[in-house]
Parts: sequence; structure tokens; C-alpha cells
Amino acid sequence: MQLPKNEDTKTIKDLLSGLVKRSEAITALLISREGICLSKVGNVESLNSTALAALVAGMFAATKEVANIVGEEQFSILLQQGEKRHIHISLIGQKSMMIVVFEDYKRIGRVRHEARTISPDLIRLLESREQSKKKDSDDLSVPEFREYALNLIDRIFVVGEEEDASS
Amino acid sequence: MPHLDPIEKQIVFKIVYFGPGMSGKTTNLLYIHKALTDKYKGEMLVLDTEKERTLFFDFFPVSLGTVQGYSLKFHLYTIPGQIFYEASRRIILLGADGVVFVADSSSDRLDDNTEMFRLMNENLRSHDIDPSCFPVVLQYNKRDRNPRLEIGTIERELGLDNIPVTESIAIEGKGVMKTLQVVSKEIIKRFQIS
Repeated sequence: MQLPKNEDTKTIKDLLSGLVKRSEAITALLISREGICLSKVGNVESLNSTALAALVAGMFAATKEVANIVGEEQFSILLQQGEKRHIHISLIGQKSMMIVVFEDYKRIGRVRHEARTISPDLIRLLESREQSKKKDSDDLSVPEFREYALNLIDRIFVVGEEEDASS
Repeated sequence: MPHLDPIEKQIVFKIVYFGPGMSGKTTNLLYIHKALTDKYKGEMLVLDTEKERTLFFDFFPVSLGTVQGYSLKFHLYTIPGQIFYEASRRIILLGADGVVFVADSSSDRLDDNTEMFRLMNENLRSHDIDPSCFPVVLQYNKRDRNPRLEIGTIERELGLDNIPVTESIAIEGKGVMKTLQVVSKEIIKRFQIS
């Protein structure tokens, strides 16, 4: 039997998977506006999703500044057209973005339609995920987390003797 | 506030290397990237101009391992230090959990350092962050410069009390990992689930 919290992920992944399948896209990612990948489906192995999330979030934020300059609050959709691959980016609520990578540019209408269709459900699921975050993370003991994390930092961010710049 | 995801089981903290142009922010990141073994680091992105000045940001992720079933990650960013990239700096500071302020120790760069520190505080306030309660480590970089600023000069000029301070020569790797250690510990000590 699956735990309820896995159901939530499955549903977000289901929505993204449905979009990928119906629009024949390569991959779809959901990212936060801070540039963190929240969920990804499709052919994700060939893409550096961490870097993609950081770059797209930066790009989207920069575009918001451009929107402000021309008198818009923000642009809700960005489209990057390449020779073989294209990227459709859409704002999901105020805090997230969906990236769809696809190859056949004739599918753009379908990609746009699918993105618009699943957007309300994604917003709802993300909101419920945010609300239950504290409850879902009750397996995490903050004092113990801090202690282990500080140990890892000591072990991995190693300071050698040659490091001293004050002498 | 860190990104805590109980479903994907990850906690991601964002560290931003801030400071005036040519103070050594990218050099810090390049050294860290070189020093860490492959299992801990992701690919580094460098978005610079033809003259190797940072245009938007540099970035790479660090995965420290698993703590209580959660994957612990730090995302390291730099900002473009040139004064006219104000909008980019504000964007990159969004969601930051801590800052390393990389100051240039050259004695003729005091004003550049203090002006950029004030701009950083303005940027933080624009994201509803109180700079006085936010983890910032002041790194005096380029300690091989002569004449150089004495430790304490920038703090006195800006009226900073109790700010953690490190010294470095980032181009030689000296003091770089120490600074990363200090800032990441400051961040972890303040971690809580909200």
C-alpha cells in the first residue's frame, strides 16, 4: 500500500506525463521560481535538469523585469524556438513554472493547449503540497538534522593547512 | 527560507556570492568546484561576457549526502558585480538562505565594497528580508594586495557588529573552503521548519 504523500507526487507526475504523452513532447519539468526542480517526467536523462531549472528561473525573472519596462506585470508564457528542439515555459501560479521541451514545432498549439489545461490542477496540487509540508516533514528532527548536517559540512568542505590567508 | 520538499525528500539551501566587480566571486566558485570531488558536485554554469566578466550568474549544485532520509544540497550562485546589473542581482538574491560578501582588500576599493554592501541590503529588503537577521559572511579577499584594507575597516565603515569575517586569496584557494564552511554552518544553525 502506498503512503498518501506519494499519491501527491504521483498526481503531479501523472499530470506532467499526460501532457508529455498527448503533446508528444520530450520532457516536462515543474520548477520553483527560485530555480529548483520540483518534478520531472519524460526523457530526463539527457538533460541537466538542475542547471536547466536554475537558468530558466533566472530567465523568467529577467523577463518579468522586461515586462515591467513595457508596462506589463509579467509575461505568462515564454517560447524558445530552436532548430530541432523548442522550449515552452509557462507560469504556474505565482511561484512555479512548467518547462516543456519538444521537437516537432507543428505541435506548438497542442503543447500550449495541454499546458493551459493542466495548469489549474497543478496549482491546486502545489498549494496542497505547500500546506501539508510541515505535517509531511514531521519525520525530520531539526536538532538532529542540524547536527548531522554540520558534521557533513566539516567533512566535505575541508579546510587544509595551506588554506590560511591571514598569516 | 530553504526549499524543503518532503515528497522528493530534499532540502536545498541557496548561497549567493555577492560583492563588487572583480572582487573574486567567480574565482571562489571555480576553486570550490575544483576542490570538491565529483560525487558531491554538479556541472558549473558560467554566464560571462567575452571579457570573462559575469553577465548574469555562475552556478553549481553541491550534494552533501543524505540526512535523515533527506538529500541535503547547497546551490551556489554568484552575482554580476558591475554596478549597472542591479536587476540581475535582485533576481539572483531571490530565495537566498545566506550570502558570502566577497570584498576586495585593495585599499583603494573601500568605497566600492561599502556601496555594494549597501546595495545588497537594499536588495534583501526588496525581498522582505531583514539584513540584520540574515546570515552574511564578510570575506576579505585578495589579502596578498599591498596596500590593503585592515580587517575591521569595512565593518567600522558600515557599522556592522558581530558579522563573521574570513580572509582569503581566492586565486590561490586560500580561505575559500573556510568561508564556505562558515556560511553554510551559519545557515544550518538557523534552519527550522516553518
